[in-house]
Amino acid sequence: MFHRRHRRERILLPGESEGRRSFLKYGLAGAALLAVGGGTWLGTRRTRPSSGLSGAFTVLSPEEATVFLELSERLLPPRPGFPAPLDVDLPRRIDALLGLMPPEGQKEVRQLVGLFENALFGLLLDGQWKTFTASTNEQQDARIRSWQQSRLEVRRTGYRALKKIVYSSYYGARETWAAIGYPGPPPTGGMVEREPRFLPGTITEGASPSPLAPPPALPEVKP
Amino acid sequence: MTDTPGRFLDSAALKKDVDDRPDVCVVGSGPGGAVVAARLAARGLRVTVLEEGGRFPPDQMKMDESWAYPAMYQDRGMRATADLAITVLQGRGVGGGTLINWTTSFRTPPRVLRHWAQAFGVSGLDEKALEPHFDAVERRLSIAPWPVEAANENNKVLWDGAGKLGWARETTRRNVTGCQSLGFCGTGCPVGAKNSLDLTYLDDAVKAGAKVYARARVVRLEKAGRRIAAVHAVALDANFRPTARKVVVRPRLVVLAAGAIGTPEILLRSGYDPNGKVGRRTFLHPVVGSAGFFSRPILPFYGAPQSVASHHFSERGGGKVSFFLEAAPVHPVLAATSFGGFGADQQEQMARMASASALIALAVDGFLPEEKGGTVSLRTDGRVRLDYEIRPEIWEALREGSKALARVQFAAGATEVRSFHEDPVVMRGEADVALLDKARWEPNRVAVFSAHPMGGCPMGRDPEKSVVDSRLKVHWLDNVWIADGSVFPTSLGVNPMESILGVAHWAADHIAGAT
Repeated sequence: MFHRRHRRERILLPGESEGRRSFLKYGLAGAALLAVGGGTWLGTRRTRPSSGLSGAFTVLSPEEATVFLELSERLLPPRPGFPAPLDVDLPRRIDALLGLMPPEGQKEVRQLVGLFENALFGLLLDGQWKTFTASTNEQQDARIRSWQQSRLEVRRTGYRALKKIVYSSYYGARETWAAIGYPGPPPTGGMVEREPRFLPGTITEGASPSPLAPPPALPEVKP
Repeated sequence: MTDTPGRFLDSAALKKDVDDRPDVCVVGSGPGGAVVAARLAARGLRVTVLEEGGRFPPDQMKMDESWAYPAMYQDRGMRATADLAITVLQGRGVGGGTLINWTTSFRTPPRVLRHWAQAFGVSGLDEKALEPHFDAVERRLSIAPWPVEAANENNKVLWDGAGKLGWARETTRRNVTGCQSLGFCGTGCPVGAKNSLDLTYLDDAVKAGAKVYARARVVRLEKAGRRIAAVHAVALDANFRPTARKVVVRPRLVVLAAGAIGTPEILLRSGYDPNGKVGRRTFLHPVVGSAGFFSRPILPFYGAPQSVASHHFSERGGGKVSFFLEAAPVHPVLAATSFGGFGADQQEQMARMASASALIALAVDGFLPEEKGGTVSLRTDGRVRLDYEIRPEIWEALREGSKALARVQFAAGATEVRSFHEDPVVMRGEADVALLDKARWEPNRVAVFSAHPMGGCPMGRDPEKSVVDSRLKVHWLDNVWIADGSVFPTSLGVNPMESILGVAHWAADHIAGAT
């Protein structure tokens, strides 16, 4: 009566869609990009680690942490009131976030960092024969934009992965909250008293308690 | 009643392997599993619940996203479709999604139940049959109206805007008692005001003798003919990493309630997919957001996060995908990963967060005959994978939903509205709303979310086309039921928690009848 379904025995990269050949979907450059994703060393072999980094990381190499730091500095350029990425120890926060992922996920992110940094792909896709970290601010912004706005979905996917890692790590830090007018958690009115009122599975008459309690005073916020 | 007392147990603290032989093993402790566990335990059955996530009582809640997402969300807060085009916010923990959801409670719309009967041959699951079960769960969870006077400014934007436009609007009902309007439902209620399942039905289950193992990840179901003989789980450590410690449960009955992604995952991992339908017809209520900026404080991070809805576009008809409108809380990490753009422009949006309104439009997927929904499958490295192609009809609904949100925000007084495109559409007035028609609605050009995974083990009459029957029993197994959102053959058009509660409460009678 039933037919057993055959499943594809292949690891798919983020952005790669099941059921369609990646070549057809992403074109020549996209397929090459996916094909080279196999090695994490290739992308960052020309990267010079930033002197701003200190100590060891658990997931990222110093080169990969440097790519994240340089990217962070363009996603979060200097602005009054906003701590600089290094002020909140951002590379370490990013490393800690990646440490929560399973090993396969960590490997995918490291491959992505390598592709983003890689000079050959900069040349192939954007006409820039330079690593991301060796580029000027303007060139870096152009590289970011070309990934963000790419015709190839796989690059847009990659950009959004990097962006989310950077922004969630940065704005997770309390030191950034003053800059965005976020006062943080409010004071609470204390624990609500609980008591079991009904037996499970029985249908009984009972009035719902009032859902409203006076809210605690909120801290002052300036718009 | 049972001879041994019920308990909440932490598998990370187990000193030796567990070999348990209860009457019933429930896999998953969200709204489906918790209700079934409580009702079966109340009938004197010995129940063991296995939950992959941790147990987080109210006094552990920190009102902090960087703690809450890794602790209480699937994939440590990083769950998404395989192409990362849809961010999936899904809870994980004792109590499941109810630990971190925004408390919005709707009964299943009768038109949805009628569609299931007509299109999928679901029998006996109608408005009348469910009514006493919805009554019961509403009483147990104190589900009650949240008056508009208590709405925060963000929800008032939706209320006022929809009112000015003459659109249908309503206040939602919420499962809270003594809510203090803190605004942190999404990171776990720190005062115990939310009637999440760990504090309600699971507590009842434990008092009636059930054992609830936290940090026990089910890896395999052991087959014996047309029955499941054993449920194999591994204990996870404090960081949710697998240990060598095993929890093996050999029950008479198995109830799967691991959610719309977890339940298909477990069946696939165990080699149960005889008709190729396991993990198919996965629906998400794909969501787009809209940021409206005001010249006054909105404080969208405080107050009940979601208490107003508009179902004005719930029945568009004509082959179109419907959508509905709600509000969403704005906290730094969620905002920063949702706003489009980068650099100074992104910082400028963040700097105005306290005067921003965030509204969302949720597409009601699964009702067009040609819609097949997403797919849950396994990667070769063992991780679960979710694919979901956003069809043109859904993009249309998201675009029209986005326009509706912008109009609501302008009607309520916004001075600027922005879409969540990577290249944001910036609107300064109602006349600019048409700019959204020109925007590119494509994967990873605009932030799309889901907080409502549904389907994947759809119910239906035809064993070739569905996974469970109208009583939620798995077609090809004699002692296995599924009681979670995975059994829905379509999405719902409303937030799913109460539908899962009600259907599980109803199903518990059938499951009990089989014991």
